[in-house]
Amino acid sequence: MATKIPEPVIGDGSLHVGDRVVYPNQGICRITGVETKQIAGQNWEVVTLSREEDGATVMVPKGKVMGIGLRKVADVAAIDRVFDELSTPNTDPQLDWKVRHRENADRMTGGGLFGTVEVLKGLHALSRVRPLPQKERELYDNARHLLVGEIAAAMNIPLHVAEDNLDYALWPPEGMKRKGRPLPPATLGPPSPARVVTGDDDDLGFEDEELGTGETAVVPGAPAAAEQPEEESDEEEEKPVPAPAAKKAVEKAAEKEKPKAAHRHEAPAAKKQKPSHPPAKKPAPPKKAAAKKPAAKHPAKKAAPAKRPAAKASAKGKR
Amino acid sequence: MIRLVTLSEFPPDVIDFVSRRLHAAYGMGSELEGEGEIPSAAFDDEHSAYDAVKAVEEMDDDVTLYADDKILYLTSEPLTAAEGPMGRGPVDGYAQYGGGKAIVTSHGLSDKGVPLDVGLAKRAAHYVGHLWDLHHCFDPRCVMHPGWSPGFAAYPEVALCLFDREKSERKIKLGSS
Repeated sequence: MATKIPEPVIGDGSLHVGDRVVYPNQGICRITGVETKQIAGQNWEVVTLSREEDGATVMVPKGKVMGIGLRKVADVAAIDRVFDELSTPNTDPQLDWKVRHRENADRMTGGGLFGTVEVLKGLHALSRVRPLPQKERELYDNARHLLVGEIAAAMNIPLHVAEDNLDYALWPPEGMKRKGRPLPPATLGPPSPARVVTGDDDDLGFEDEELGTGETAVVPGAPAAAEQPEEESDEEEEKPVPAPAAKKAVEKAAEKEKPKAAHRHEAPAAKKQKPSHPPAKKPAPPKKAAAKKPAAKHPAKKAAPAKRPAAKASAKGKR
Repeated sequence: MIRLVTLSEFPPDVIDFVSRRLHAAYGMGSELEGEGEIPSAAFDDEHSAYDAVKAVEEMDDDVTLYADDKILYLTSEPLTAAEGPMGRGPVDGYAQYGGGKAIVTSHGLSDKGVPLDVGLAKRAAHYVGHLWDLHHCFDPRCVMHPGWSPGFAAYPEVALCLFDREKSERKIKLGSS
């Protein structure tokens, strides 16, 4: 006579082996089992999950399953409410970065599906006012990634269709309606801080590959300088002014930093004999830039485009 | 390598422009692989357009993909997609997120007042971005900005914002390793 193996209890009992779940920092996963692992001489009961997008295995200690915000994929009715929520415009973004940061962090881990929706909606509304700082841009992308994955999983539709629908609600195209109510068509939002764009097709010559090509060649440099001040000014709103001695020290450091930054931005422009880049929207005082940016960061960013492969020969040969 | 396959007739200079812009945006080689035919089974009679998802999945081609190769089909036929929670909206392409194949149409570009080469290059770069797991971007100048928003026609440059540029570079590096 076969004996039935009791199914392990996961979390509060609502999760079972084989369920599709949402892991706030990983995306859509499937519970594959409960195992006992020996880690640092101790036996740990871990829940193993398989991440759907790449098949990676994620292990979570059984006792922490609920604490990390692991939950079942939402049902269709909940997704419908998500779209109701998304299609209601948010005209009042939280402008205090400290409050926003704390709220968003809580919502992402413990806020469930609607917490993620609120993060996305709030940051989307803020992006309509001004470009997002780097960390919030990442958070915006994470929230979007989770939401798109969950919508696609819940409704059994391709990720592309899920994302398009999400944006039909956030940026309604002309004539879009939600439950019979016409949505106001999207308007042009503010672009990210100025970057150099040549717009000249011939500037994409492949001989420029060493420095990066044409208009995108300058993308890694220019916006980095332009976006950083946004973040810094944002995050340092309420920081105390440095003491005069410290101020002098950072000003000295800024002096040292200046030529490097100038070199970084001028390299592609000098080659093309173009006029200098337009100034950043809100240049930060040198003391802040020096205090926040380590010098080692610059060469790493500058070196990246040089690694691109050359391919014109094969492309042209075929044509 | 981004391999382009035309499913409709396009002037050679337009294909050349698209190829160059893709190279500039992603730093990957891009070349015209050949011509193909959009599968007739993908035609949706009700909407007089080709189902973009079916068109890609049922495409019968002999293009060999190596490692991190991506394949992009270019057509001028109207495309449609399955109805989602918001109903049907404008569809100008489809990409298998994190996958290898995408399709893009030039249909509707003239209505927006966007030149064929620029419009097709922007759409191509957008859907290739999805192949690298890039999501839509709020920056209207970025090619990952939704194609139906006013930013598409307002900014003719085919460029990624800094965030998407860095993300795509990371993904490309991971893909090739």
